[in-house]
Amino acid sequence: MHSPVIRGSRRYLRPEVIRRIARLEVRARGVVEGVMAGLHKSPVKGQSVEFLQHRPYVRGDDLRRVDWKVWARQDRLSVKEFEEETSLRLTLAVDGSASMDYAGDGRRPSKFEHAATLAASLAWLALSHGDGAGVAVFDDAVRGVVPARTRGSQLTEICGVLEAPRNAGASDLPRVLRRLADTLPRRGLVVLISDFLDDRDGILRGLRLLERRGHDLAVLHVMDDDELDFPFEGPTRFEGLELPQHLACNPRGLRAGYLEALTAFLGDVRRRAAAVGADFELARTGEPAEVPLVRFLARRTRLAV
Amino acid sequence: MPAFDFPPLAWWGLPLVAVPLVIHLINLLRYRRVRFAAMEFLLASQRKYRTRVLLRQMLLLALRTLAIAGVVLALAQPRWRSAAAGLFGRGGLQIVLLDDSLSMGERDGHATAKTAFERAKGVAGRIAATATGRGDTLVVASFSGLTAAEPAPLLPAQPASADTVQRGRDALARVATSWLACGPREPLDRVPTLAADLPVAGSTLWLVSDFRHHDWHDAESAAAVRRLSEMGVTIRLVDCGPDATASTASDATTTSNLTLVSMEAVGGVPATGVLVPVELEIRNDGPALVRDVQVELREDGASRAGLQIAEIPAGVSATRRFEVRFLQPGAHVVEARLPPDRLPADDGRLCVVDVVDHVDVLLVADDGADPRSGDAFYVATALAPGTAAGTGVRPRLERPAALAALDLAAYDCIWVLDVERLDPAAVDAIERHARAGGGVVFFCGPRTRADVVNRTLHREGQGLFPVPLAGAVEVLPGPGPGRVPDIVAEQHPVVTGLSGGRNPLLDAVRVDRVMAVARGFDEAAATGLQRLISLRDGGALMVEKPFGKGLVAAVLTTAAPTWNNWARGDPSWVVVMLELQSHLARQRRRAESLLVGDDVRIDLAAGSDENMVDFLVPPDAALVRQVAAPTDDGGFQVRLPTRLPGAYAARWRRRDGTEREQVAAVNVDAIEGRLERAGRERLARHLAGVPFRMDAADELDPAGGTLAGLPLARPLLVGLLVVLLLEQCVALAAGYHVAPSRRC
Repeated sequence: MHSPVIRGSRRYLRPEVIRRIARLEVRARGVVEGVMAGLHKSPVKGQSVEFLQHRPYVRGDDLRRVDWKVWARQDRLSVKEFEEETSLRLTLAVDGSASMDYAGDGRRPSKFEHAATLAASLAWLALSHGDGAGVAVFDDAVRGVVPARTRGSQLTEICGVLEAPRNAGASDLPRVLRRLADTLPRRGLVVLISDFLDDRDGILRGLRLLERRGHDLAVLHVMDDDELDFPFEGPTRFEGLELPQHLACNPRGLRAGYLEALTAFLGDVRRRAAAVGADFELARTGEPAEVPLVRFLARRTRLAV
Repeated sequence: MPAFDFPPLAWWGLPLVAVPLVIHLINLLRYRRVRFAAMEFLLASQRKYRTRVLLRQMLLLALRTLAIAGVVLALAQPRWRSAAAGLFGRGGLQIVLLDDSLSMGERDGHATAKTAFERAKGVAGRIAATATGRGDTLVVASFSGLTAAEPAPLLPAQPASADTVQRGRDALARVATSWLACGPREPLDRVPTLAADLPVAGSTLWLVSDFRHHDWHDAESAAAVRRLSEMGVTIRLVDCGPDATASTASDATTTSNLTLVSMEAVGGVPATGVLVPVELEIRNDGPALVRDVQVELREDGASRAGLQIAEIPAGVSATRRFEVRFLQPGAHVVEARLPPDRLPADDGRLCVVDVVDHVDVLLVADDGADPRSGDAFYVATALAPGTAAGTGVRPRLERPAALAALDLAAYDCIWVLDVERLDPAAVDAIERHARAGGGVVFFCGPRTRADVVNRTLHREGQGLFPVPLAGAVEVLPGPGPGRVPDIVAEQHPVVTGLSGGRNPLLDAVRVDRVMAVARGFDEAAATGLQRLISLRDGGALMVEKPFGKGLVAAVLTTAAPTWNNWARGDPSWVVVMLELQSHLARQRRRAESLLVGDDVRIDLAAGSDENMVDFLVPPDAALVRQVAAPTDDGGFQVRLPTRLPGAYAARWRRRDGTEREQVAAVNVDAIEGRLERAGRERLARHLAGVPFRMDAADELDPAGGTLAGLPLARPLLVGLLVVLLLEQCVALAAGYHVAPSRRC
């Protein structure tokens, strides 16, 4: 394992997080395509250290793959097929919409900062294991992207995109997911880091599209503690971050209804993720980033083929 | 409709109920702004629970407003008028009960000072005026009005208005203190009847009185107050006695006052030209000795020589006698009057002396008695000496056998003089005479047979002879020089002048022989038996006992100087006989003395009296005609209630054409002269457990303090507690309290 080169800012790459996850790996749960030979199964059958099967030679096959021993014994031409271990292509889709800028009382990182920390940590982990990592920051469109590679400066570029100034607008996850499904060149692991405060049906369709394209999906659902606990008291005027909504009320009077709706929302996101076979993890901004990462990575390690 | 004990607190405090609304509105403007991402859940909650949240907020606001209103009202001490009054839009019921008994005529000290009753009327006026301002229903009554045969208030229950107040004042202006000694118990028991269509619960009773000790010394009056309090009546006592202030009313007080307690003819023979002794009693009810008490006397309205009493110590009664003499037969009115003091009403008294031409007495002696030397001679000579100084007594001598045929009712007294035997009819006639109030005197002597007396006259105490006899005995002379008198006068009105110490008139009396009282007879156990004169050895010489309405006396020696020398020239003989005659006849001739409030009763004989009686009533001898009603015994009776003191003359005709007249003296009850006040502490003891308030008349403010109506402060505080608990519950439900955090 090598440490990726980090040049420039380390804002979202926190040592305590790295320390906790350094011994873990980002495992693909299914077969993924990778550039480098790595731990991940590749759907491409080619030269590999592990013999898979023989098949009859057909015109156009590479003659270097003909098993001459079989020809000698059986007087027929056969081609060897091998299971090739390839490197993981990790794509981190980070929601950079306005709603991700919510930071509660300011004593916690914003949801975007927390999401960026998660993304940077995963990118570091993948790159340190020789896997490719890329990032796409989006709101209603992809605003910054680093394709998944294993280059030495990859992490720096990833951090650069994450730290770049954003004009956080409203989110349009379904559209972004469709875009990703169309633009990702190869199958890989797509980790969607968002608060999912968007059209959930559209999100599900986007995730299904990615799934059909053969991607391994994972969802890190980032929520602020305030959004999860709703601790507000006293007369308050709530104003929306993305939409021109507002409500003046006594929060305590609406708390029970809010939590009821929130609980339904969290369960819905979890179900929709499960419906497309995506791993799901809830990441509270009030807890250290390594906690959900460890849970996420450990689960994937258990489930990895 | 509610009213308040402290209206300013209500008026100034009510605007405070707007405070929760103001705070709510201020909070709406003082919200903090939060830019929030998860608006959709907030909006979803708001859509789903909007109505519930709004209702809770409104309920919370209402409860907080109610709580503040409750605090303000509780401090203002609200009261609710009676339920009926509240339903029909009327105010509370104010019942003013004025004490108009005799003692309320007491003045503060000088002749022009206010009387207690005048202060009471002022209090009633102030209460009426205040009731008008509050829309109350007012009823005013007096003690005398409620104790009459047909109770009626001075001002019947009606809504208090300016007209009502004026009518009330007019009614009060016509009212003076009564002459009655009516206490508060009976009027208090009749209070619930004063406002027939309004419940007394929630009403206020203003008992305006001078609270004399004699009205409140027992538990009856306090029990009547307690019964009213238990009905829900608010009790307000207003002390209008003299010098009643908040500081002085706490202690029992008494003021100086002389009271003419009684006056009556106490003996003598009420015959024309005969001196009749009259005794009057004056009581000093004050705390200090009174000197030089002048008593004015009048006979039939004409002044005569009065009396002067040197001194009467505090709390003591002084008794004095004077004599009257009337030359004409008939009813004569004797009046006595003291100088006016704080309570003039008890400074006068009158009595009636029924004077006849002569008083007939019957002397009964056996056949053969010497009319010139026997018992009858000496008795007759004593009773009617025939001198210029007539006694008014006309004795008549009869044999025992004629008794049954005589109308003994014509005789004041029957003297049975040493009769051997009386036949049963005669005994029966004499007993009927005694039962009817006539007097009987028995003299013993040689013809008297103890066994016959015991069997026919004493009859083991059932007969009219006072003692059983043993038989004649000798009275042994006393030893040595300095002879002890044979007879000793006891303490008895007949021999009052002869009793106590050595009396030279009695020293000369010698008794040689008497009829002894049976051995073993217990004089002390005999009901009503009294000794008038005793023998030297302790035996009885003259005794009396009551029999029916009359009195029977027995002299256990002879009237004639046979067994003694008494009648032979001893002046005490005449004195004792005349006093004995007067004493025995008094029961029959005692003029009826009534108190104001009593009925004058005239009993008429069916068949001989007509049934129409004309009364001449004081003060100006107004004519009141009454028709007699039949009685159970077959006769007729007419009754006239009395409201004023004075002489009430009743006249009626007999069927034989003659006219009869009877005069009754009606006086005030002397108990009202006891001006000692009960005092607040004593009243509080008697009324323990009864919530009441007592004010001095001059310091009373009917508009202040408690008003009519049910006090609402306590139920209001309970309601306030409930409201505060509800408010906390609703606040908790609405999330206004810190709830345990719930994490997703």
